[in-house]
Amino acid sequence: MRPVRISQIYLGLLLALLLYLLPWGGFGLLVRPDFILLVLLYWLIRSPHLCNIGTAWMMGMLVDLAEGGLFGQHAIAYIVAAFLAVVYQRRVTLFNRWQQAGYVFGLLLIAQTVLLILKLFSGGELPGLAYYLSSISGILLWQLVIYSKIKVTGDKELG
Amino acid sequence: MAQPQQPTAFFVRGPSPFARLIFFFALSIVLMAVDARLHYLTEVRQGFATMLYPLEVVASSPIRLYRYVTGYFSGQTTLMRENGQLHLQLTRESVELQQLITTQNENAHLRSLLEVRQKLHYPTKLAEITHIGRDPFVHKVDVNIGSQQGVMAGQAVVDGAGVIGQVTRVYPFSSEITMITDKSLAIPIQVERNGLRAIAFGHGRDETLYVPYLPANVDIRAGDKLITSGIDGTYPENLAIANVKHIDRDPDSPFARIVCTPAAGTDRYRQVLIITAPPAVPQIETEPPATIRKPSRHAPRQD
Repeated sequence: MRPVRISQIYLGLLLALLLYLLPWGGFGLLVRPDFILLVLLYWLIRSPHLCNIGTAWMMGMLVDLAEGGLFGQHAIAYIVAAFLAVVYQRRVTLFNRWQQAGYVFGLLLIAQTVLLILKLFSGGELPGLAYYLSSISGILLWQLVIYSKIKVTGDKELG
Repeated sequence: MAQPQQPTAFFVRGPSPFARLIFFFALSIVLMAVDARLHYLTEVRQGFATMLYPLEVVASSPIRLYRYVTGYFSGQTTLMRENGQLHLQLTRESVELQQLITTQNENAHLRSLLEVRQKLHYPTKLAEITHIGRDPFVHKVDVNIGSQQGVMAGQAVVDGAGVIGQVTRVYPFSSEITMITDKSLAIPIQVERNGLRAIAFGHGRDETLYVPYLPANVDIRAGDKLITSGIDGTYPENLAIANVKHIDRDPDSPFARIVCTPAAGTDRYRQVLIITAPPAVPQIETEPPATIRKPSRHAPRQD
């Protein structure tokens, strides 16, 4: 793997934020993958010494600002997912593609569940199962990472 | 700054991930509490939201370009057909308008006879919806005018067909509108047919409203029009809100279940009108009238 520059990380996060800020609506809004969390997870797994839990927290706060919801709810969801990604980072890089996809899917689900719990605490109502559609679209987008040149694992595991 | 990756960095410098997690978790909880309970962060939020505004403009530019291009190439036949339709509609409505003017004059005259306060004409501002809310389970939209253009939180938002919602948060160049279909918004209503007053709440899940806390034998039928009552001081009176879709009278429940569909295009149009008149809070007399005052025992008798 090539060395990573810190500007690459922030460029990726900025692009994800722009994708997030696109005027989504209707069904598109429901299935919109969490671009920012996906980019965060990618960098957290690939170079955890450059992109850390603090970065995840900062991006979560930006999302909260853009969404206009309660301050810090996305930040908490992102740091929980980031923590789990960083703690098992060395193992994740050794996973094969199915294990890795499963692990990332689990992280997306955990982040969404944390967000759901926080929303319920602040007086939201229980959304339907369609709430988790964005995790599914997110893991479909993650296949791009697995099957492309920007994969996080070494070459020989992807035989 | 080219920082080479260290492939053998087994020892992470700085605090452990768990310590970082705890630190940021605590920070978020504190921010959340300050935001939700103490409302100190309004200015901070406004500042940062203004910083995000250029990014939002950039993000929405491809869609705007697409709309512009498709609008430019919409065929001449479409335009001509639309023009014809509009002419027809104008002719039809101008007849009604003439009748309306007569009726209005008559109404004003009768009202002045009855010494009733004249109905106010409300100033409005045209706003364009820039974003549908980012959270699919919250019915909020962002529009392109804000406090610089005189928008204030609490103002009512309408479109051609009726009430859309209320301005809930104002930034310098944009503001956030909560739809009447949002779960957190309640709106005082009146049934047009019989003048019954109640409060409607947004359902939150789908594009409907419901009117709770009314007894099962309430005089509301499917098809009734709900309008604003105007007694709240926020919404002008006699604006359409919703039509009653169906009403369930469950014998087990003391309350009727009334489901309504909004009259305004809460999910259709891109232009809305913000009523910029300051909310007319009704004057409440604090001093009790003299006639109710209890007569003092030592007061001189008046007879």
